[in-house]
Amino acid sequence: MGNATLSSLIKMVNQIADNNVHVGTTDDAANAVASHITRFWARPMKQQINEYLNEGGEELNEIARQAVTQLQK
Amino acid sequence: MLQHFDPNKDYGTPARVSENLVTLNIDGVDVTVPEGTSVLRAAAEANINIPKLCASDNLEAFGSCRICAVEIEGRRGTPASCTTPAENGMSVTTQNNKLAKLRRNIMELYISDHPLDCLTCPSNGNCELQDVAGAVGLREVRYGFEGENHLDAKKDESNPYFTFDPSKCIVCSRCVRACEEVQGTFALTIDGRGFDSKVAAGQDDGFLASDCVSCGACVQACPTSTLMENSVIERGQPEHSVVTTCAYCGVGCSFKAEMKGTEVIRMVPFKDGEANRGHSCVKGRFAFGYATHNDRVTEPMIRDSIDQPWKKVSWEEAFSFAAGRIKDIQAKYGRESVGGITSSRCTNEETYLVQKLIRAAFGNNNTDTCARVCHSPTGYGLKTTLGESAGTQTFDSVMKADLVMVIGANPTAAHPVFGSRLKRRVREGAGLIIADPRTTELVKSPHIVADHHLKLRPGTNVAFINAMAHVVITEGLEDKDFIANRCDNTAYNKWREFISEERHAPEQTEDITGIPAAEIRSAARLFAAAPNAAIFYGLGVTEHSQGSSMVMGIANLALATGNIGREGVGVNPLRGQNNVQGSCDMGSFPHELPGYQHVADDAIRGRFEASWGVTLDNEPGLRIPNMFNSAIDGTFRGMYCQGEDIAQSDPNTNHVDQALRSLDCLIVQDIFLNETAKYAHVFLPGTSFLEKDGTFTNAERRINRVRQVMPPMPGMADWEVTMALSKALGYEMNYSHPSEIMDEIATLAPTFKGVSYERLEELGSIQWPCNDAAPEGTPTMHIENFPIGLGNFAITEYVATEERSNRKFPLLLTTGRILSQYNVGAQTRRTPNQAWHDEDVLDLHISDAEMRGINDGDWVGISSRAGDTVMRARITDKVQPGVVYTTFHHPGSGANVVTTDNSDWATNCPEYKVTAVQVVKVNSPSNWQQNYQNFDDQQQDFLKQGRESISQ
Repeated sequence: MGNATLSSLIKMVNQIADNNVHVGTTDDAANAVASHITRFWARPMKQQINEYLNEGGEELNEIARQAVTQLQK
Repeated sequence: MLQHFDPNKDYGTPARVSENLVTLNIDGVDVTVPEGTSVLRAAAEANINIPKLCASDNLEAFGSCRICAVEIEGRRGTPASCTTPAENGMSVTTQNNKLAKLRRNIMELYISDHPLDCLTCPSNGNCELQDVAGAVGLREVRYGFEGENHLDAKKDESNPYFTFDPSKCIVCSRCVRACEEVQGTFALTIDGRGFDSKVAAGQDDGFLASDCVSCGACVQACPTSTLMENSVIERGQPEHSVVTTCAYCGVGCSFKAEMKGTEVIRMVPFKDGEANRGHSCVKGRFAFGYATHNDRVTEPMIRDSIDQPWKKVSWEEAFSFAAGRIKDIQAKYGRESVGGITSSRCTNEETYLVQKLIRAAFGNNNTDTCARVCHSPTGYGLKTTLGESAGTQTFDSVMKADLVMVIGANPTAAHPVFGSRLKRRVREGAGLIIADPRTTELVKSPHIVADHHLKLRPGTNVAFINAMAHVVITEGLEDKDFIANRCDNTAYNKWREFISEERHAPEQTEDITGIPAAEIRSAARLFAAAPNAAIFYGLGVTEHSQGSSMVMGIANLALATGNIGREGVGVNPLRGQNNVQGSCDMGSFPHELPGYQHVADDAIRGRFEASWGVTLDNEPGLRIPNMFNSAIDGTFRGMYCQGEDIAQSDPNTNHVDQALRSLDCLIVQDIFLNETAKYAHVFLPGTSFLEKDGTFTNAERRINRVRQVMPPMPGMADWEVTMALSKALGYEMNYSHPSEIMDEIATLAPTFKGVSYERLEELGSIQWPCNDAAPEGTPTMHIENFPIGLGNFAITEYVATEERSNRKFPLLLTTGRILSQYNVGAQTRRTPNQAWHDEDVLDLHISDAEMRGINDGDWVGISSRAGDTVMRARITDKVQPGVVYTTFHHPGSGANVVTTDNSDWATNCPEYKVTAVQVVKVNSPSNWQQNYQNFDDQQQDFLKQGRESISQ
């Protein structure tokens, strides 16, 4: 797993989360983030962020973490 | 040529629109015209051609030359028909002995002070003065040339594109009026009085030194050879013409390419062009010489690595080499290890083929386009709120606006022809609000003063637009009927609650935006009260970390005030490059097939699979920044890049450099060895717009034909090159003409269903959607409903960018464009437009300059968290304290060495408009610039060796 991609993916998902905080409840926000990733991210990007979560996902903010967790279901 | 034989006839005065019609009799013929029409025009519409000199149908009547005098029954004298409105029952005589004598006398006076060098005059064969002399039967000039005259008046040859020869001037004022009425610059005047009257640019300081923007309107208006294109002076009158579409900005002007054989003599704005209505700017009108510049590379080249010289090869070898490399990469690193980038400078058909090659021949969706770095947030934002990824209006629509709000755009520089039309509307009385960190020309210029200049801090757009909407909602200024009938009620109520929160009040946001609360309130009230309020926006909206939120915020405001679905209103993105709209429509984005249809939709994908005969990936592909990161990580190894210069245009140049150097195979298709091509392994020579056959789609969704005016210099058209590369990769495409590509697009993209070359020839141009419901296209969108049914209010929380100024980087850099150069400058730098802007400079406010001991013209170092570069400083009050500004037209200036990887949260559009920097006085180029120069020298040498190599 490369550093350039991963660090950018972490930044991206956190940023998407920050911009969806106010769409409703935390669940609503996480749904919006998960939906965004599903719709716009490439397969390898989804795989990398999933792997990162599985390894702890320390730098993911709360909504981003919830969203990526949701993607794995 | 006499104008009544001219298919593009000049009717003398502008057309009038009125429900009231008047009928008059002209030379025994009854003519019915709208009230307000001049007698001159009424006659011309009945094919009764009254001679004229100072009149032109793109200018208001002036009544100066009196050549168009007529007799009107019951009226005294011989009134000028151009200034006399047609009236019911009027009886007009246009030809009799008295009028003929009068006209001959007037012409005799004109010619007595005009050189009789017709045979050697550049206008010979295309001179209105000569035509009128012929029409009135001038046979003698009794006054001689012994008296005082202007025949020795000195020429002004300062402008690189045209010459002003005052000895031939008849002082008809057409040039002055064109500069005022059509262009709106007011650079020309009639200086002096009586016999001393003469046309002067600025304070008589010559065209180049004056405020003249070299749009060419004066040259076009001149009825003599006084203002004449240098190309015509040098090479003579053209012998045929072809109507085509300009390849510069998103206005998409129509031009007549006037030719001698395969050589373009001049580009004349096409009067019937629906985007430009016969107007032009310095780029489209004059800056076409790059197409035949010596720097053109017209033969394919290959090399194993970028440390080697190029080798000239046959097309077959180039395709074979490129395909072999791509296949090897995919065999070793997997199907998803390659991708490509389409271009907004290429036609719809070319773009469609590139994304098709990527999806079908590469077998993945790693396709992206330069719209990623300009208007991708427009696509996301407008699709989310209005249901379609496009602007809502025509450019003509602005003439019905009562108030125009321009946000983050500088149309007089970047979309000049639209800028002129907007200025005309403002001069007619429309209100104007400008939201921009900089003081642009629209804030204050001759006869233009904005009602409000909301001088916000870079990066605070969303806080600003939320404050505007807050005032509208909390002061009860919203359009309740429109909201109730046209918008999703649940979404609206949720948004209403959000936007009504006190934290969005102007008093709360003024510390963020820097805009005084009272000014926001006043602007919001003005906007909401206007019967028709239109919003035009540019890259100052999209190129932010919240670009998509801002686009949605703009749409929210338009919905809340009911400013959608009719002429004079709307949400209007001013697209950067000429075919940004088209490249997005054609399925260039990694998640969308042509027509904005998501790749994950099985039914939609199935239709493409059936048509293309291949299985398509159902997952989105990589965006450009993702490709770069993956390249650096080693998982993305090959790229096909058509017509774009990502090495110069994309942010954080050091990062892009690292990514491009990591590729095993970079295939660049371009007309020059551009910055990106210096990292390439395969160079496929491309064509300029003059060599192309296809269509462009402008910012109005207007599909216009691009017609080939000269043969492709490399011998193959770009669409043929893409087809051949695809075949070499094992996926064959079979088209014999670009029209067949459009026919395929029409079968797959529902909004293009009714588009064909045949229909384009019939209609001139078509604004999509064009389908069974709208067989002639859709000038104004969302009249009755939205593609998503109801308008959707989106929550747009302001989230401050991570790019903050601090003690180390105390200033905010914002980047943009100027009038004479275009994008990365690859085209305009290879034209005489260099006369206006031969280097990028850094604009900074005098207070910031004084604090640093910087004088105008000093070399300054600009450093950011991403990198450093050096430019000359220009002290100006156009930027506010704390903000600096530059352009990115010259690669050596390294503007994008400084910009960062920050990007829009939804689309990854780079945040070019906010970079925290420090500026200090220096006396040598930056390290990057020295390295760049070495790399450039080496690559130019490799190109030279390639040119000299023998084709295999």
